[in-house]
Amino acid sequence: MIGFFETVGRALIRFVEEFGLIMSLFLSTIAWMFRPPARLRAIFEQMEFVGVNSLLVVILTGTFTGAVLALQAYHGFRLFNAESLVGSTVTLAVTRELGPVITSLMVTGRAGSAMAAELGTMRVTEQIDALYSMAANPIKYLVVPRVVAGALMLPVLTIIADFVGIMGGYVVGVGFLKINSGIYVARIIEIVELEDIFNGLVKSACFGLILSLVGCYKGFYASGGAQGVGKATTQAVVVASVAILISDYFLTAAMF
Amino acid sequence: MTRLSAEAKVGLFVVIGIVILAYMSAKVGKFEYGWGRGYEVYAYFDSAEGLAEAVPVEIAGVEVGQVKKIELEAGRAKVTLQIKQDVEIGEDAKAAIRTTGVLGDKYVELILGSPEATPIKPGGRIEQTVSPTNIDTVIKQLNSIGADIKEITGSISGVLGGKEGEASLKIIVDNLRELAQALNETVQKNNENINRTLDNLAAFSKDLREIAATNKDALSKILANSRDASAQLQETIVAFNQVTEKINRGEGTIGKLIHDEETVDNINTALSSINGYLQKEERFRTYVDYRGEYLFDIDDLKSYLSVRIQPKEDKYYLLQLVDDPAGKKTITETTTIVAGVPTTEYKEKIVKDGIKFSAQIAKRYYNLGLRGGIFESTGGVAADYYLFDDRLMFSLEAFDFDPDEKPHLKFKADYTPFQYIYLTAGFDDFISEDGNESYFVGAGLHFWDEDIKTLLYGAPIPR
Amino acid sequence: MIKLVNVYKSFNGQKVLAGLDLVIEAGKITVIIGQSGGGKSVLLKHMIGLMRPDQGEVFVEGVDITRLNDRRLNDIRKNFGMLFQNAALFDSMTVGQNVAFPLQEHTRLKRDKIDELVEKKLLEVGLRDAAQKMPSELSGGMRKRVGLARAMALDPKIILFDEPTTGLDPITADAIDRLIVETQKHTMATCVVISHDIESSFKIAHIVAMLYQGKIIEIGDPDAVKSSKNPALQQFIQGKAEGPIHVV
Repeated sequence: MIGFFETVGRALIRFVEEFGLIMSLFLSTIAWMFRPPARLRAIFEQMEFVGVNSLLVVILTGTFTGAVLALQAYHGFRLFNAESLVGSTVTLAVTRELGPVITSLMVTGRAGSAMAAELGTMRVTEQIDALYSMAANPIKYLVVPRVVAGALMLPVLTIIADFVGIMGGYVVGVGFLKINSGIYVARIIEIVELEDIFNGLVKSACFGLILSLVGCYKGFYASGGAQGVGKATTQAVVVASVAILISDYFLTAAMF
Repeated sequence: MTRLSAEAKVGLFVVIGIVILAYMSAKVGKFEYGWGRGYEVYAYFDSAEGLAEAVPVEIAGVEVGQVKKIELEAGRAKVTLQIKQDVEIGEDAKAAIRTTGVLGDKYVELILGSPEATPIKPGGRIEQTVSPTNIDTVIKQLNSIGADIKEITGSISGVLGGKEGEASLKIIVDNLRELAQALNETVQKNNENINRTLDNLAAFSKDLREIAATNKDALSKILANSRDASAQLQETIVAFNQVTEKINRGEGTIGKLIHDEETVDNINTALSSINGYLQKEERFRTYVDYRGEYLFDIDDLKSYLSVRIQPKEDKYYLLQLVDDPAGKKTITETTTIVAGVPTTEYKEKIVKDGIKFSAQIAKRYYNLGLRGGIFESTGGVAADYYLFDDRLMFSLEAFDFDPDEKPHLKFKADYTPFQYIYLTAGFDDFISEDGNESYFVGAGLHFWDEDIKTLLYGAPIPR
Repeated sequence: MIKLVNVYKSFNGQKVLAGLDLVIEAGKITVIIGQSGGGKSVLLKHMIGLMRPDQGEVFVEGVDITRLNDRRLNDIRKNFGMLFQNAALFDSMTVGQNVAFPLQEHTRLKRDKIDELVEKKLLEVGLRDAAQKMPSELSGGMRKRVGLARAMALDPKIILFDEPTTGLDPITADAIDRLIVETQKHTMATCVVISHDIESSFKIAHIVAMLYQGKIIEIGDPDAVKSSKNPALQQFIQGKAEGPIHVV
């Protein structure tokens, strides 16, 4: 019985500790972000890695998310002859929710894990210590570019995912399910607000911040050789994914 | 194929993202203004029930603006409408709160009067309004209609009821019987239609007879009066006829004026040109702007003083003086020929605190503004992205495309928390190879001509 | 130059440094010997502020670096160069970029001037035409040389060496030892070397110090240390399994 409480207590302490460390990493990242000179080259390299190189996977997942959503919504709406609302349903779901979340989860798997692995390797091979020894702050060199790239690139990826998602929905709705294209588009324009798109983009920027911060954190504090790096990578993906979904709820509650 | 640099790929990627975003916001954006933001009018409603801010304002089903503000004033709802600049509303227009859709969303509909009516000026009032009918008022109206009907039936029963009524009814019935008998023969000969007509006629003539009988005196007086009146009218008409005939013939001043077609033309052109001038002035706006940017790395202030002339809401011209601490660089090239060999000497001269000059033209497409022209005394282009009712603006400028050096790139974000003041932050010359790259923060003041006028009039006068 | 006073450090309840006192003299090569896992690296990391002691002070040129904020600590660190055990080269950069890194960071030199300096530093450690290679293409000995070139890029006053010859073949190890001696002679920098390689240690050292059970048990010139009566030191020098130091 006591052992049970001990386990729970230890987990809680571990959680609070970890959360505190992530927050302090976040604060020092912000502090270093604005301390010149800016590492533009490093930022661009990370932007390319996080953004450009994730393009294909985001386009694929975005398109098929929109397509399958149209398919499912169609079966529901057909029950009361409201097929024309499929487009706006797909568009709202994609811009508000699925675009940001699915993009962020994909990028977490692709880039968040890579960040953890890269920084973890640098930690266990003393490259991070080497940076310190050369009076160069590793947060500025390693964490800031990744976090900036994450927060900037996710909205761009999300808008692309939104677009291809809506296109995917259109192809299924108009092409396969024979909903009138004029009505389909008109309903989208009528119901979807600019705000829906923008709030989705703001959310995705937050998710980008979360996934890059967690990836960097897990890598930055990795220890224990190759095995430790592997563990950090796995944990980065799990923790970031869970954090994205939890924060999604609160962001949505706050925004819409 | 040469491999693209990371910067180029990221740049292309971001541009694609912005284009998609601009396209999508243009598509779903319900009502986007240019920089001009349209103009405001207001109207009073007895009830603004169900109306919300930002719902559309329509004329004939076409969206022309949106509801800006709803407030209570002296027990009535004062609703401020924001109308697109190019839509004119006549003074005789009527504003109505209408309902659309199954869910009963409310919107404001404007019903325009005659096209000749003088347009309402910005800030003016739409006099006539129709408040929405909600179920309560409908029921109330039905109630009062019911009461009216009851009253009418009551008075009818008052007229017809009682002994007098009975007697008169009896007479009527008797008369009718007589008439019927007399007519019967005719009726039998003719068809039913004529029968019915005759019935009606009979009833009517009977009524007339009764009226005439009771008002004999009054009627004869009226007839006498009207005979007099018609005699006088006849005289007036004769006189008027004489006048108009004279005018028609072009006699007298008025006659001449009216007959001269040139006069009419003159007046028409004068009126239309005044109209045009007034309208133009309304749209033409001038802004004066000062901004200071503190450059961290250079540890100095960069100042901009600009005048923005905006003839249309989606277009403006910008003239700007820039005081740049990095200075102005001029390269002079002198070629001297020594012993038949030309040697070229380059001299770089940096003038500290040099004043630079910008002149740009800007055009706006929905949330995206594009600028081009002279940037700090060199050619350049820029893109601005506007968010949250233009309160937040991101812009990226690229200029000084020297083939030997990297172009001057500048990224900034302007945020306007208050009407006249805005804050700015960004990164100037961030791919500089001369060590000019620097973060900056700053602030600016922003007025348009009306503001300046208001400020001048509103300023306290020293006594 | 560097002075550690009564320094304590423990990890997960295990004492690694226990009231350690040590003075490193300027302009000399001090070799700290001791068992593997005995806290030599920890000691070295305290000198450059990569670790902070649980208790005690670390003075670098009279400044207690345990109390400095990041910014001031970075100013102190600019006096240091450090060669890590596995060289710790940035594997995302070429050799040239690795060596150029501190120069780009802390000088306002122009690009071509930096390239020139990098070339020179690489030449000094005997690496010609390696600037364009990636660290993964290099052997262990070459990586250490690049590490040394990088550590020396800013001509530091103090150079720290973390096990410079571990994992190298005897010939390469000797070459590195010579490089250390030459560099020191050349620059008159203060060098601190930690090692468990007795032979090479006594060959290069001006001063030898022995770390045992979290303290410095013996310090002095190589001959004096060699003739010390301390049984642990003698066991270590002679490389015997039996004695006061228990390994298993």
